[in-house]
Amino acid sequence: MHIPENYLSPSTCAVFDVAMVPIWGYAAKKVRETVPREKMPLVGIAAAFCFLSMMFNIPLPGGTTGHAVCGTLIAILFGPWTACLAVSVALIIQAVFFGDGGILAIGANCFNMAFVLPMVGYAVYKLISDRIEGRKGELIGAGVGSYLGLNVAALLAAIEFGIQPMLFTDAAGAALYCPYPLSVSIPAMMLGHLTVAGLAEAGFTVGILAFLRSTAPSFGIETVEQGGKAASAIGLVVALIAACPLGLLATGDAWGEWGLEDLAEMVGYEPAGLATGWEWSSFMPDYSVGALPEVAGYIVSAIIGVALLVIIFRLAAGAMKPEVDFS
Amino acid sequence: MPGSGEIPDWLSVPQAYEPLSDHSTFAAKSMLSVAAVLRQLRLDDGRTSLLSPSAPVKLTLALGAIILNSLAGNIMVTLVLLAFVLVRAALLPRHALARAAAVAGAAAMLAFLIALPAALLGQPASAVRLGLKALVSTGLAMEVALTTPAAELTGALRSFRVPNLVIMAIDLTLRNIVRLGECAYETLIALTLRSVGRDTDKRASMGNVGGTLFVRASRAAADTYDAMRCRGFEGEYDGGARFRLHAADAAWIAAFALLAALFLHLEGIA
Repeated sequence: MHIPENYLSPSTCAVFDVAMVPIWGYAAKKVRETVPREKMPLVGIAAAFCFLSMMFNIPLPGGTTGHAVCGTLIAILFGPWTACLAVSVALIIQAVFFGDGGILAIGANCFNMAFVLPMVGYAVYKLISDRIEGRKGELIGAGVGSYLGLNVAALLAAIEFGIQPMLFTDAAGAALYCPYPLSVSIPAMMLGHLTVAGLAEAGFTVGILAFLRSTAPSFGIETVEQGGKAASAIGLVVALIAACPLGLLATGDAWGEWGLEDLAEMVGYEPAGLATGWEWSSFMPDYSVGALPEVAGYIVSAIIGVALLVIIFRLAAGAMKPEVDFS
Repeated sequence: MPGSGEIPDWLSVPQAYEPLSDHSTFAAKSMLSVAAVLRQLRLDDGRTSLLSPSAPVKLTLALGAIILNSLAGNIMVTLVLLAFVLVRAALLPRHALARAAAVAGAAAMLAFLIALPAALLGQPASAVRLGLKALVSTGLAMEVALTTPAAELTGALRSFRVPNLVIMAIDLTLRNIVRLGECAYETLIALTLRSVGRDTDKRASMGNVGGTLFVRASRAAADTYDAMRCRGFEGEYDGGARFRLHAADAAWIAAFALLAALFLHLEGIA
């Protein structure tokens, strides 16, 4: 679901980049108001769940791959605006360090996966958990919410891909950017997400949420129980890092994330905008570290990504003013 | 004469005094920044963790890793070291993390800016690579400083057979730089607070701050000398003979050996 560089026109990217600025600003304001300073490092760990879940590639029908995002999970634990910021930071790290998703397309990717996904997922979760009481209602809400959230985000990505050949073509009528119209992009994206990736998202969300509720009750914004701390959550992050090379078993690219040569082979020509567009060369493209074996490179990439997220949110906690209750 | 509990008359009269604005940017910004940086050079808040190697091993391995990072033509060694530096930084206490991030980030930014012409000439990767190397090397150095008490660092230098005179010079210099930095910072803050209105004699104020520092430095030197005499310290640092290799040391040395092997393999040396 990560839209790569040059698959969207620069003007489309600019629209989403500009649209995300006030969203990020409002999210930062809400986070300052709602998330206590001492809980901010936990947001970094939750963002690490999101980062790692995106590394577990899953084979989808049609020969492509997909992955979970866990945006709804963070929304349930720390609120939807915190999820917006946390997933955004994870996506920016993926784009800058690992070339997963385009730099220019960061706004579009964040809009889909960091804004719409947690908002829809959280709204559905609230709707269900308010009607079914107890842990059962929470887990059902989390499962259904995350499934719908991921699919709405995938639908948006498909629409963004699909409108490109309608809006941007050369004199001969050939697409400049993504060459697949809506009639292709929507079925292709939704088939995989409705059947497999959505279920994977629900599985990740419900599994991690149930684990955290039973082993680390203080992990989350609404829970105030002392003790338990985040030891089990950190243990889960370490386990996910060790297991993330499983994501390498799914061969093939995600839909809409092909290289230029592969795309040209499929459609019979190189879209001009794609061939000549600007591209960021990251140091660890596709989570590989130079000549290191693929598995080792994947683990080193996961360690770097997770450590960066924890550091960023711990520094953010340090920058927040401590609250003093004078009452 | 008002009673002890009453507010005196002169205090209850509203005052319309508005001090003239003054251009005190030099004192407020430049000199304060320099003094603040000097205060940051402190080495006395290091804390070891359970898995820390002993100070001599830590110093040696950090120095070795910085050399490997600097010599490596292949970015892979730098990235593996980056993973280590980031994980260790993520586990530091909050204040230590903020200090390490500020210093390493500033060094990386400076290296990036120095190499920026390369980016403008079509080699953006070179500038980023240089910034990354600076980040890793500075991060390693900061993490060693922040996870090792100052006394252990001095002991580690002794175990490398560094002459006592050199250790004492380094030790006293580092401690006094921080102390004088703190003194300069406090004096400048006091000067700024008391300089209400327009100050027509800034140079004299700056000279006074310098003079105060000089007097304090002389006193500190005399006090240190007296303290050394009282404690019978003749400039001989102990600690060189007591070094023993621990299990944690062996594990860290093995990890470094793997990194060195990776470096040699990638550079085509072995």
